[in-house]
Amino acid sequence: MAMTIDVERLGGTTPVTVIALAGELDASNYEQVIDVARNAYADGSRGLVLDLEHLTFMASSGLFALHSAVRIMRGETPPDAEEGWGALHQMAQDHDAQASSVRLAAAQEPIARVLERTGMLRLFALDGTRAEAVAALQGA
Amino acid sequence: MTTPAEGKRSISVPATVDELAKVRAFVRDSVSRFGGSKRVADDLAHAVDEATCNVMLHGYRGKAGDVEIEAAVRDRRIEIRILDRGPIFDPTTAQVPAPGAIPAPTRPGGMGVGIQLLRTLTDEVHHSARPDGGNELTLVRSIDGRREED
Repeated sequence: MAMTIDVERLGGTTPVTVIALAGELDASNYEQVIDVARNAYADGSRGLVLDLEHLTFMASSGLFALHSAVRIMRGETPPDAEEGWGALHQMAQDHDAQASSVRLAAAQEPIARVLERTGMLRLFALDGTRAEAVAALQGA
Repeated sequence: MTTPAEGKRSISVPATVDELAKVRAFVRDSVSRFGGSKRVADDLAHAVDEATCNVMLHGYRGKAGDVEIEAAVRDRRIEIRILDRGPIFDPTTAQVPAPGAIPAPTRPGGMGVGIQLLRTLTDEVHHSARPDGGNELTLVRSIDGRREED
């Protein structure tokens, strides 16, 4: 099953881009997610919501894409393959998931389990719905 | 005496990441035929995805080749075998972060979170070098057994 990406840009005091992923996120398509995040930042978005409601699978390459999105929204260079464990440890320590400019919304149970199991929830806030995630970023 | 494997089925795919969806679908279908739950299917499909992706990107490194996936059930344990002709690599001895540590997601095929997932999603992982070249990786998961975190 392929993956489709639907991008919606919202205005407001904090411009937010919502990226809705549907299908399966794996090594064949994770770079598309990084590209969309990079374009969103370049277009002025300072908040990102990844709507995972219709995503049914996420491989470790997808986790890499999410991690890259956090770095991109912080104005940093996305992580490199050669960058070891140390960098992310550091990032997790000085990172407040609730204050992150990247929020995940409506993850299905298998996806939430992968995020939980790999410690990624220390990097992202996980909201029940897309609307809650947008509201949290726009300070509503 | 060893119980014979039942319901053995297999597929062979070219070593390119575009084939991973097909591999996952094969694993899900096999688990379902063997009577496993959706949870077991999710976990095994994910484990096989990580292992196969690793073979495609790390083993073959873009060179043409095939990966064969076999599924069978023995003593109510599902066995998935991943066979390749790439350089010898044993993910059971590869270094990964300690459990509880936050793994850095590396590019697909990179060491780390993929291998860690591969281990946590299965009950057993066995590696052997094939006598005529390549790797045989066996992932085992009980059909019935619930995992600690359930």
